[in-house]
This record gives sequence, structure tokens and C-alpha cells, in this order.
Amino acid sequence: MIDQETQLKLQAYLDGESTSREAGEIVRLLDSDAEAQVLFNELRATKSLLAGNEPERKLAEPREFYWSRIRREIERAERSADLLSAPATTTWWLRVFAPASLLAVLGVFVAVSLRSPENSVPMLAFGEGHEIDTPLEEISSFTFRSERAGMTVVWVDSHRN
Amino acid sequence: MKKPGAYCQLALAAVVLAFICSPVKSASNDLNLSAQLIWGTNNEKPDDPKLKDIAPDVAEKLRGVFKWKNYFEVNRQEFKVGSSATKKVRMSNQCEIEVQNLGGSSVEVKLYGKGKLVVKKRQVIKAKELLVLAGDDKNDTAWFVIMTLANQ
Repeated sequence: MIDQETQLKLQAYLDGESTSREAGEIVRLLDSDAEAQVLFNELRATKSLLAGNEPERKLAEPREFYWSRIRREIERAERSADLLSAPATTTWWLRVFAPASLLAVLGVFVAVSLRSPENSVPMLAFGEGHEIDTPLEEISSFTFRSERAGMTVVWVDSHRN
Repeated sequence: MKKPGAYCQLALAAVVLAFICSPVKSASNDLNLSAQLIWGTNNEKPDDPKLKDIAPDVAEKLRGVFKWKNYFEVNRQEFKVGSSATKKVRMSNQCEIEVQNLGGSSVEVKLYGKGKLVVKKRQVIKAKELLVLAGDDKNDTAWFVIMTLANQ
């Protein structure tokens, strides 16, 4: 099983963003590891069939200003979380039972939404179920999603090349 | 009167949310689906009367994701799959799909090529979204089986 760091290195090598040392490591890995070869070929296939590379998004404002706004928002959210904590005068029973009742209500909400009794349709879909099987040995498949196009794609690679 | 604390407010909001999002009764759990077999190529449209142009918005979506310029419809089938039922639909001489209604707009789709199971996928099909099973074909072309909820 290839760890995530190695997967990222394979992707970087494919994109031409590896250092020379890492590129050498990847070449040796591809020569010796069949699993790494399969993954690399899938990544290469995905890259070849997509319309274009992801566009580089340029910020309208300087980098430091952009990140400082994010930092201020985080600090503001942390201050708001402090304000939500119960005051000292809250009775003990409210502190104990209020979170439990909240969890119970959420649990009922989840159970009710997931149930599919006859003639009813849940309004929310919890997850999509990504079971995918490719039983033929001579082909492989992988799935990806384009949020912009509202499209889930299962690509079947017959390894023609 | 003492203002309710934060926990009370959160609990009240959760109760309201639970009532709003209770299951909505609908007439049927049947799924009306549409499946299109589409051929993608960078060449111009060949002289084959069976090939039709696809909807511009679908073509645009495919061009936005895939590298091929032109997409043509080979076959289109609209069908209904009852709750917990399975339906086989032939898309071409070599391509068949089998769709099982798992309930809650969730389906399991099996794609058969030349009689062999090629791929199986479970997916929730949401309104206005596409489930695309696709693969490469000879001469740098590609095939696509696009499934959507019908009557969108």
C-alpha cells in the first residue's frame, strides 16, 4: 500500500515539480514497485484525458493581506466561541442535559432523514456510496468528480496505449 | 425574563431543523432515468444518420472536463426502475447497462461490454447531475454512457 507522501511525490513527478533527488527516487520506485506503476499510469491517464490543467488563480489583493484576513476571521471565530460558553450562573442540570438533548435531537434527525419508508423520499442524501468494481483484469477504472459540471465520472481504462 | 442560554438556543434550532427536514411523502419511489450512449472524437461528424447531436449544455459539460471536441449521441433510452427493482437496458450491440434502484435516488449501475461485466458503480443520482461511465476507444476516441434523472 503506497503511503500518501509517496502518492504526492508521484503526482509531483508527473507534473515536473520534483527535485532531481526526488525524481531519482521515483524512477527507482517505478522500476521496482508494480503498485506504484499502476498508480502512476492512472495519474498519467487522468492528466491526458482532461481538457486542460487547472487554471492558476491569482489573488486580487496582496498575499499578506489575504492571509491576514483569514487570520482575523479565525481569531474572530475563536472569540465568538468563547462567548458561547455557559455563564457561571447556569444551573447544573442545564449544563449536563442540554448537550445530551441536543445530541438526541440530532440523532433523531439523522435517523428520520435516512429512513425510506414506502412512498417517502428523504430530502437530504448523506453520502453517495462510492463502491466501484472492475472485475476484468485487463482493464482498470477510477472515479473522479467535477463539481463545476455536476458530474461524477467513472473512467474505464482499457490500457490501449 | 431571563434570556435563554446558548445551549437552549442551539437545542431549539436543532428541533426546528429536524421538523423542517422530516421525510417528504412523494407519490412513488420509482426512478425515471435517461441513459445516453455518446461517442467522443476530435474529428468532424461522420456521415452516419444514426449519430445525432447531443444537447448543447451536455456537450459543454463534457468539453469542460474531457479533451475531445465533438460528442455525438449513438443511442438514448428512457426507462423507469421500480423500487428495489433491476432493469437491463441495451445501449448498443456491444454495450448494455443494468440499473438497480436501491431507494432514495441511489442506484447500482453495471456496465457490460461484449457480454462481460466491465464496471459496477453505486451512486446517488441527484437532479441535474450526470453519472458518466466512460472509456477510451480506438483511434483516440471515447465512449460515454451518461445517466441522468429523466424529465429534467
